[in-house]
Amino acid sequence: MDCTKASVLMSAAVDGELSFSEEEHFLSHLSECKECSGEFDDAKKTKMIIKEKIIRFKAPQALIDSIMQLTNFDTRETEETRLYD
Amino acid sequence: MNKPAPTQQKKTLEKNATLSREERKKQLEFQNEAVVHLHSLYNYALHITMNPDDAEDLVQETYLKAYRFFNSFERGTNCKAWLFKILKNNYINRFRKDSKEPGKVDYDLIKDFYHSIKDTRNDTTEADSDYFHSLLHEEVYQALHSLPEEFREVIQLCDIEGFTYEEIANMVDSPIGTVRSRLYRGRKLLRVQLEGYAQKHGFNTDDNQ
Ligand SMILES: [Zn+2]
Repeated sequence: MDCTKASVLMSAAVDGELSFSEEEHFLSHLSECKECSGEFDDAKKTKMIIKEKIIRFKAPQALIDSIMQLTNFDTRETEETRLYD
Repeated sequence: MNKPAPTQQKKTLEKNATLSREERKKQLEFQNEAVVHLHSLYNYALHITMNPDDAEDLVQETYLKAYRFFNSFERGTNCKAWLFKILKNNYINRFRKDSKEPGKVDYDLIKDFYHSIKDTRNDTTEADSDYFHSLLHEEVYQALHSLPEEFREVIQLCDIEGFTYEEIANMVDSPIGTVRSRLYRGRKLLRVQLEGYAQKHGFNTDDNQ
């Protein structure tokens, strides 16, 4: 495997989306290529930062309520309607 | 919410009892499968619309459609992915048409938007990362939003929402190979942005391997 091929597999390697044999070839290239190995570490770090540091917003209560109304019942009723089953 | 008076509660029960058994089953299933993803959908909608009202409309519309077509949801597949696909289609039909040119990034808008809502609504966990420890949420947010949409989109769907490549490919109507390469290029771009921020904070990543 050369660096071009390795870069094609890079993201899938970060995300655990490689097949067994792809992973084998990819890792063996990394063991002998400093550039790709460094790039792989960087990509993993980048993913981790996004995963851990990005702000996540919660839906406002008014929206939750209105979605609940969509299905015409709320959580309290969920339990109760089960009684009819 | 107040607990209803007994008579009122009885009325509700009677009303529900008149619903067909099928409908009640559908409601329950919809709640367990679809409504549980409400926060994720809203968060994503807010990231792409950058406007709380638009985000609410989008999510609202998505759930309306999802409920109406819930029978076509393939049981056993990822319902969150199905909902995201609906949301994305709604977004394209409704908001994308009048949005600004893709690729143009309005940093001031991003910054203003971020500050306008970050204090009120968020549940970011303060995970202690070994790397880029000093990076602020705002900087990561801005770095992500500085990416062209096609890259930002797949990174969000993959790294934040945890979808598989197959699910993402389906959502963005592109082959898996395209998803792979967009993630690769997007992360490289992001890396450059984050590097700048990390250096600004006097944090040298190379010493920290
Ligand atoms: Zn290489």
